[in-house]
Amino acid sequence: MPNAVQDAPVDERTSPAEPRQASRTLRYLTLAVTALLLLGVGWTAATLTSGRTPGETSAEAGFARDMSRHHAQAVEMAMVAYAKGQNPEIRQIGYDIALTQQAQIGQMQRWLQEWDLMPTGSRPAMEWMSDDVQPRDDGLMPGMATREEIAQLHEAQGAEVDQLVIKLMINHHLGGIHMVDGVLKVSDRPEVVRMAKAMKAGQQKEINELRKLQQASG
Amino acid sequence: MSISTPGGPQRRPTVVSTGKKPAAGRPAADAKATGTKAGSGKPATPQRSGGGGKGPRKPITPVKVSQGRSWGPIALFVAVGVLATSIIGYGAWAAIRGSQSWEDKAADIQGIVNFRETDPESVSNSEHRAGKQEYKQSPPVGGPHNNTWQRCLGDVYDAPIAAEHALHSMEHGAVWLTYRPDLPAADVEKLASVIRNNDFMLMSPYEGLDKAVSIQAWGYQLKVDSADDPRIKEFATTLAQNASVEPGATCSAGNYTTGTGTEPRELQPSMGG
Repeated sequence: MPNAVQDAPVDERTSPAEPRQASRTLRYLTLAVTALLLLGVGWTAATLTSGRTPGETSAEAGFARDMSRHHAQAVEMAMVAYAKGQNPEIRQIGYDIALTQQAQIGQMQRWLQEWDLMPTGSRPAMEWMSDDVQPRDDGLMPGMATREEIAQLHEAQGAEVDQLVIKLMINHHLGGIHMVDGVLKVSDRPEVVRMAKAMKAGQQKEINELRKLQQASG
Repeated sequence: MSISTPGGPQRRPTVVSTGKKPAAGRPAADAKATGTKAGSGKPATPQRSGGGGKGPRKPITPVKVSQGRSWGPIALFVAVGVLATSIIGYGAWAAIRGSQSWEDKAADIQGIVNFRETDPESVSNSEHRAGKQEYKQSPPVGGPHNNTWQRCLGDVYDAPIAAEHALHSMEHGAVWLTYRPDLPAADVEKLASVIRNNDFMLMSPYEGLDKAVSIQAWGYQLKVDSADDPRIKEFATTLAQNASVEPGATCSAGNYTTGTGTEPRELQPSMGG
């Protein structure tokens, strides 16, 4: 190869047409390379911005994790309502809330998997909320029942179950809606926005139903 | 410019003046320069090194091309090279990082024992059985367990609980942190801060533990000497929920217990089974 290169130029250099052709080739090459370069820059920029999934400290991840835990307590209370409620309507609403919120937990956990994030976050609960609503001293998020209230619910019998379910679930839903508003304020992820809006509408409707039951029972 | 041969500085001005314009000016300069070189019997090496950057041009005008023109393309090629390398590098890094499963992360925790690999038999049976059970590991990491599970919504139990219930929670994906009952209260509080308010976690004291702290999930266990060990939290956050062998099963509702005492409780009628 080196020899061939060495020998060849002598002949070609004598022809003026060759260099011109070479320079054209070079220009095309330069053009092609420039195009590639721009393509590369564009692709990189696109990858780094729009295509990116929510990260470890994002509001979306915080919402998915915290709302999963928030929902888990609603499921717990709703299952007690379903099992022990005196009024059939309380049992019915308990059944509805438990199944709906458990399914929503599953969907939120699926987001985390798709975003390559662990179910358990590295940041404190509620840190993602922009309005500085911090969990209470006992670490509970807005609207969550205390351990004592949950214990009381488990021990309750008859009409007392209904009263406690109504009171605790209305509070729980109000806290949940507050968190939904928090994520809607900052997120434009379609799956998150869609789910958050549906949660808000659903829980608002259930609050209304629970209030009706509350009034009916005096 | 340092590419040029020792004689370059003198020659360069002419090359630059003609060479700034496209190829037309070049041939003359080429002919002169190479002619000189050939005449002086200089070996081909400088020619090749000069044109070496670009393969295609080499045969034509090895020395001149490089002196007059190469910098633009060279810079471009370098830029493209750097860009390509970083894109590929980023892609590879993202792919590797993204593909690191919780199992890989768990395997990276120093001292963790993966019984699913080392002793699959002890985690293969997940029957529901009433009453006290015998386990190969202490605390157990798998095996037959009670129908009722221990609530594991970040529950911190201050007295020993039945392993038969905790194991059922672990089957659902919970991480159970156990500690020696004689641990100082400050240490217990440190451990509680890892567990409290985290879904799919629970903790309780455990009699007869051979280390200060043992944390376990279904098929996994890590034993450490100090409540300050950062691996405790790493284990908890990596395995909680991920280690479930019944994905989607809960820690909260349904047939669970929040009672303490190591004697398993049988079905709670109030929860409807």
